Amino acid sequence: MENVLSIVDMHKTYPGGVHAVRGVSFDVMEGESVAIIGSSGSGKSTVLRCINRLIEPTKGEVRLRGEMINTPNADINDVRSRIGMVFQSFELFAHLRVIDNITLGLRHVRKMSRKEAEREALEVLEKVDMLDRKDAFPGNLSGGQKQRVAIARALAMKPEVMLFDEPTSALDPELIGSVLKTIRGLADEGMTMVVVTHEISFAREVADRVIYMDKGVVAESGPSSVIDSPQTERLKKFLSSISEED
Amino acid sequence: MSETTIPLRNVSSEGRIYGYFVLVLFSFLMVSLPAVAQEYRSGWDTVESGTNNDLFSVEATGDEIWAFGEDGIILGSQDGGLSWSPASVITSSDLSMSDSGFGSILAASSDGTVIIKFESASQWADISFDVGEESIRGVSLIRNDSAIAVGSNGSIWKYESETWSDYSVSGVDLLDVSFLDSERGIAVGDEGAILFSEDGGITWDYRDSPSEASSSRIIDIEFYSDIRAYAITDNGGVLKSSREISTQVGFLWNMQYFESEGGSSNLGVNLTSIEVATTNKFLLSGSGGYLSMSKDGGNIVTKQLIPVENLTSFNDIVMIDGFNGITVGSGGTILITERSGEDEQVGFEVRDFSEFGSFVDYSKGMLIDGLYATINIVLFGIFLGFFLGITLSMMKTSPTTLKEIAEKRSLNLVRLFGALALIIGFAFLNYLVPIVEGLGLDGWEYIYAPIGIINPGGITGDLQFENFAYLIFGVSLILLGSLFISANGEYKKSERELFGRTVSWNPWGVRPLNFIATIYTDIFRNTPLIVQFLFIHFGIQIGALIGDPAAELLEGSTNFIATFLRDDILSNRACVSAIFALGLNSGAYQCETIRGAISAIPSGQMEAGRSIGLNYMQTMRLIIMPQAIRICIPPMGNEMVNLVLNSSLAMVIGYSELTRKAKLINAVTFQVFWSYGMVLISYFIVTWTLALVLRYLENKTRIPGLGISGGS
Repeated sequence: MENVLSIVDMHKTYPGGVHAVRGVSFDVMEGESVAIIGSSGSGKSTVLRCINRLIEPTKGEVRLRGEMINTPNADINDVRSRIGMVFQSFELFAHLRVIDNITLGLRHVRKMSRKEAEREALEVLEKVDMLDRKDAFPGNLSGGQKQRVAIARALAMKPEVMLFDEPTSALDPELIGSVLKTIRGLADEGMTMVVVTHEISFAREVADRVIYMDKGVVAESGPSSVIDSPQTERLKKFLSSISEED
Repeated sequence: MSETTIPLRNVSSEGRIYGYFVLVLFSFLMVSLPAVAQEYRSGWDTVESGTNNDLFSVEATGDEIWAFGEDGIILGSQDGGLSWSPASVITSSDLSMSDSGFGSILAASSDGTVIIKFESASQWADISFDVGEESIRGVSLIRNDSAIAVGSNGSIWKYESETWSDYSVSGVDLLDVSFLDSERGIAVGDEGAILFSEDGGITWDYRDSPSEASSSRIIDIEFYSDIRAYAITDNGGVLKSSREISTQVGFLWNMQYFESEGGSSNLGVNLTSIEVATTNKFLLSGSGGYLSMSKDGGNIVTKQLIPVENLTSFNDIVMIDGFNGITVGSGGTILITERSGEDEQVGFEVRDFSEFGSFVDYSKGMLIDGLYATINIVLFGIFLGFFLGITLSMMKTSPTTLKEIAEKRSLNLVRLFGALALIIGFAFLNYLVPIVEGLGLDGWEYIYAPIGIINPGGITGDLQFENFAYLIFGVSLILLGSLFISANGEYKKSERELFGRTVSWNPWGVRPLNFIATIYTDIFRNTPLIVQFLFIHFGIQIGALIGDPAAELLEGSTNFIATFLRDDILSNRACVSAIFALGLNSGAYQCETIRGAISAIPSGQMEAGRSIGLNYMQTMRLIIMPQAIRICIPPMGNEMVNLVLNSSLAMVIGYSELTRKAKLINAVTFQVFWSYGMVLISYFIVTWTLALVLRYLENKTRIPGLGISGGS
């Protein structure tokens, strides 16, 4: 299996001096889905944003299919268009209809004609089961629907890897199911993905591998079974605190 | 899912906003265009001539005025043209040309009939001669008892000592002749022929006519004075000859281009005669009821109203003095004027302004003109301000820091650039040193140096904006250069001990575009608008600097919008200055408004845009700006209302907008309360309409879920 994404010794210090990520390394293989779990402030979202350089890592390497992408000379726009990203708060473009949200990148990055782009958009909308709301404005959608549109927006670019930044944390519990179902569907189709999540059950079911981060470092990683049999005290503690919440 | 789906429209929502915006602007333009036409009446009065015969020519000499016409009719007037009586018939030929001067009057017919009346004589003398196959087309007296006649095929005859002698030249048909004195005369004719004689009409030399007239028939010539001669072509052209430094009149001829005709050299009418009243003032007559006058040597030719029907063909005009004149034409028409034929504004009598109704009647036209002028500068000001506002706000929010720029390059390149910048910067400042020294400033007076270096020569000197640019670039490049040359590859903020405290500054964090935009907005937001008006209009004279060249660019275009821009906007210097003052000032404020709206857009929107591979500018244009503009419509509305209200300051530079009109009305009527009150209402109507339109726009562009009307 090919190594799609590889992160080597990533560090990030924020301007205020907070050392959020302290040397994280991991690889993601073709078709693999990796879940990053960890408590708030453990640096997992920072790692994700450093991958497509929405945040510039202070130090370290990010390679996409072997190509170093965190140098000033990398064509960052091209790199980003190859990495799909889904945000916690959806970030749909509020002034555009659902279908225009999806065609925007296709038309202006992939340089497709409007017609072509709309055909592609309808395809991905069907995949996330949002075809019937294609002409709605984001403001008229429920949270779950918004997140599925956001996934469709990322998918339309045909990314080589998808990054999910806590895709369900902003959703009401009854809306989470549909989004998780969509993500699971993608994983089953063999999409390479990195999911930052609080949904332990989801990580257990869907992820091929789980990375547990704590205080900016990878505290434990392994197949999804580590959730059931944690090796480190820290993960044990974290898991038990989560189950208490549930 | 239960919601009905809205069909996808082809027009994007951004496109619609722009559409509405343009629509609104155009409707303003349309509403403002038909400024109330003032009523005029003709400056000419009809006089009873007692004949229906066509009149061809008219002459004035001393107290007498004579008109000549069809079938040898001769009319005389002793009272300045008010009443006419026929003289005894001498000939039955059409008297189609005449001349007066040196106390005598001469009239002639093409068949060779010539009659003359000497100063002392009470009767006309017949001095006809045989013209053979040819015909006379023009006559001119050169002394009280001597004349020149010209005609077909280059015929030239001279009457002297009671006999006619032939001095014909070979050539084309000659159509008119005019002598300044007994020596110097000009004859004109077909195919642009111009001949000059300096010996009383015995020998003639061809002169070059302007190429535009080389195939025209030059039908009338007036050798007016030592410094000016005019001629006309029958197809509506005017030729002018002026004395140049060492060249006397009649040598160099130029075609007159009419500003009033959009720069054309053709008036588009069939002219019949020209009458020169003063060096730069002349009247023209033509067929189809055409009478016109120019007071500026032909730049602007104003067609005049006539009190008779348009079928009348006017054949000749005579000016008794600068203002009193007479014109004659077909069907025995005689018109008389006391004001050079200028149209008279109806109802210019002194009014009783004590009644509000008549006051409103009097002032509404001026107020509407003022409103129109106000709307002109406001509209263009808004355009300019909006454009500037968008640009500046994008510059202000640009995230690129010096650090990012430097980081992408190798350290050596950065240092090399730093060294270059230092050298160029010092070179700029070095150039300025003698200029600044020449200003003779002392101590704190140096704060005024930027003004001094732009205009070291004062009112007589040119504005040297390049000096200011050198100053700005010099200082910036030196700062930038010393930063870049000291680069060590870390690009971190520096810390220093100062008075026992740690002061840190971060020059690498400077965002250059933001820096430039901030300088601009700081200058315009920290100086009073009224001073900006005065400085831009009287100091920079932006009208001469930008308006005039721009108007020249549009010279000759006949497009509706181009002519509007040229004639109503660009050629009015105060208008150009007002637009720039309002626009530049408003741009600085609109910038802050739009910047506020941009920062109100969640940063996640930028991240989302970048995450699908759009670059920064694309994300701004496609995602951030469309949402920001919607958010800032209400504050922008305030800003535009402000701009309308601020436009009243344009009165200080003499631009005739609404407030200034009110002041002018005041000066005539002394009705202070009424005039300023009416102005208040006028402003209210404009700004309130604007506010309504903006409210409508805001509702129309509202997107569900955007802004405070609901979370997204």
